[in-house]
Amino acid sequence: MWRSVQTWRGIALIGTISAVALWLAASGQLVLYIHPRYVLFTVAMAIVALVLVVAAIAARAVVQRRDALQRPPGSVDLLAAHDGQGHDHAEPHDHDPLPRRRERALGLTAAGVAGLFVLGMVLLPPATLSTATAEQREINATAADVQALDEAQNADAAAVARFTVREWAGILRQTSDLGFFADKPVTDLVGFVSPDADDPENVFYVSRFSITCCAVDAQPLGVPVHLPGWQEQFPVDSWVSVSGEFVSNPSAQSLQPIVIEPSGVEAVEQPREPYLF
Amino acid sequence: MTRAAEAPSRRPAAAGRRWGPRHVVAAGLGVLGILAIVGLRAVTAESGDAPLPDAAQDLITLATSVIIESLPFIVLGIALSILVQVWIPETWLMRILPRNPWGRRAVISLFGMFLPVCECGNVPLARGLVRKGFTVPESMVFLLAAPILNPVTILTTHAAFGFDDGILVARLLGGFLIANVLGWLFSQHPDPESLLTDRFAEECRVDEAAVTRSRGGQTLDLFVRETSILMPALVIGAVVAGAIQVAVPRDVLVALGSDPLFSVLAMMVLAFVISVCSNVDAFFILPFASTFLPGSIVTFLVFGPIIDIKMLALMRTTYSTRTLVQVTVVVGLLSAALGLVVNYVA
Repeated sequence: MWRSVQTWRGIALIGTISAVALWLAASGQLVLYIHPRYVLFTVAMAIVALVLVVAAIAARAVVQRRDALQRPPGSVDLLAAHDGQGHDHAEPHDHDPLPRRRERALGLTAAGVAGLFVLGMVLLPPATLSTATAEQREINATAADVQALDEAQNADAAAVARFTVREWAGILRQTSDLGFFADKPVTDLVGFVSPDADDPENVFYVSRFSITCCAVDAQPLGVPVHLPGWQEQFPVDSWVSVSGEFVSNPSAQSLQPIVIEPSGVEAVEQPREPYLF
Repeated sequence: MTRAAEAPSRRPAAAGRRWGPRHVVAAGLGVLGILAIVGLRAVTAESGDAPLPDAAQDLITLATSVIIESLPFIVLGIALSILVQVWIPETWLMRILPRNPWGRRAVISLFGMFLPVCECGNVPLARGLVRKGFTVPESMVFLLAAPILNPVTILTTHAAFGFDDGILVARLLGGFLIANVLGWLFSQHPDPESLLTDRFAEECRVDEAAVTRSRGGQTLDLFVRETSILMPALVIGAVVAGAIQVAVPRDVLVALGSDPLFSVLAMMVLAFVISVCSNVDAFFILPFASTFLPGSIVTFLVFGPIIDIKMLALMRTTYSTRTLVQVTVVVGLLSAALGLVVNYVA
């Protein structure tokens, strides 16, 4: 078993991962994991990998069969040691001690763990990051988008209406001057619900993750919304669309100086591209 | 073991064989298997959200993201490694290298300019170079310098930072110097082959007596062997990196950001944990540039491409644990020193 695990584990892993990657790309969900600029590269390389996997299976299957046929029965174990040139001991040769038991156990465990996880990649539905990660990473710790403020100053109403969580979070980080927000209402701001750590009763964030490369570097961004009792209507992690005006924060506990006073909050479907790029 | 001795003589015949119906059947089964996986994936995706706690679900999402992001680079790296080992005549590579060891290592540290693969792809390539006759210290120079001194990384770092604060220049010079110093240190080792894992060293010795197989056959053999060794390492490295990210609050690191010494250390820990590719780490760290001192950013950009959880798992396939501990310590000290110099001077 050790021999065939050693020979086939890499092929099985890279084949499965590539197949999953292609399916994700076809169903438009590859962007749950990586930035759109890598989609083409990933698809191309996954196809290369799958072509090599199929070729390797073909070549290997015949080599193994031929070796098995050419050797007399009683020596099966020895043969198994020789037929997989792909395994760590490479081509057939004399000074090839069987791997030590401990090393073998370690290799099997590693292959088992990796196999289990990759099986999870096939069986578990793809998902976006959740509030658990948003809280872990501290919302708006890094929302320093210097340009957003300048652009917002000169933006017309239509442009302001298109602002995403990224623009608003960047602006809020740089100014708390209510006058600035006077003629800039929030229109249909989409994001998932994440509670404000300081006043979870009354304030939640409309949040999005911003991604520069892949989900690993996701930075949570959020715009605070003042809506007492929001939990009864909108579960944490559900997606909402918020419209309203910025006002100074009525909540005493929350550390946010300015919040959205919503004129309307609607539950919406998760967007096809849940992250901001 | 006489049977083993006669095996090589039979191989060329096997390798020279033409593709027959049996190959077609095996290939067909392979294609069917792949389609079955895609079909299964499509069906299970309909089953609604998995009943997992958020943290577990995020761990899976993060690890999956590392794997998917590294996959194309690993494939490219293996392909280039096969190209170097099987398809490029040995003399080409050796001819362009200077004889003097410092010169050789300096030229090798610039290989990345022509092989723009990020660090996960460089591991198979470095393995290929060792098999091709490079010394072990030389392979390390390549492994350390190539992720930094390559066109993609230079472009993205420039896009993120421009020439401000000398971050780009410090990253390039620092990466070059650290790789060469480390290469020199290990070249003083009395028995460089002992730096490798037993298994890989054995593989290299075997290759010296390599059997003459068709190039196509060698290509597929190498592909099977490299994936068999690298893929479990990649998956496990990704899972560990995901688990640590779910467990360690990031604001702890950020809180340390403004102290000249601690910010350097915090950035090294962040780089170690985050395991993000060198091609894009400049964009990742850009938002932190306002909180952290420039020297600490440089440390992140120099240390991160070389040493992180995912890379250690991948490099462990080739270098012994002892070697990796030494490399980590040396690179850590050098990049911390570099960061401190930039912090205090700039």
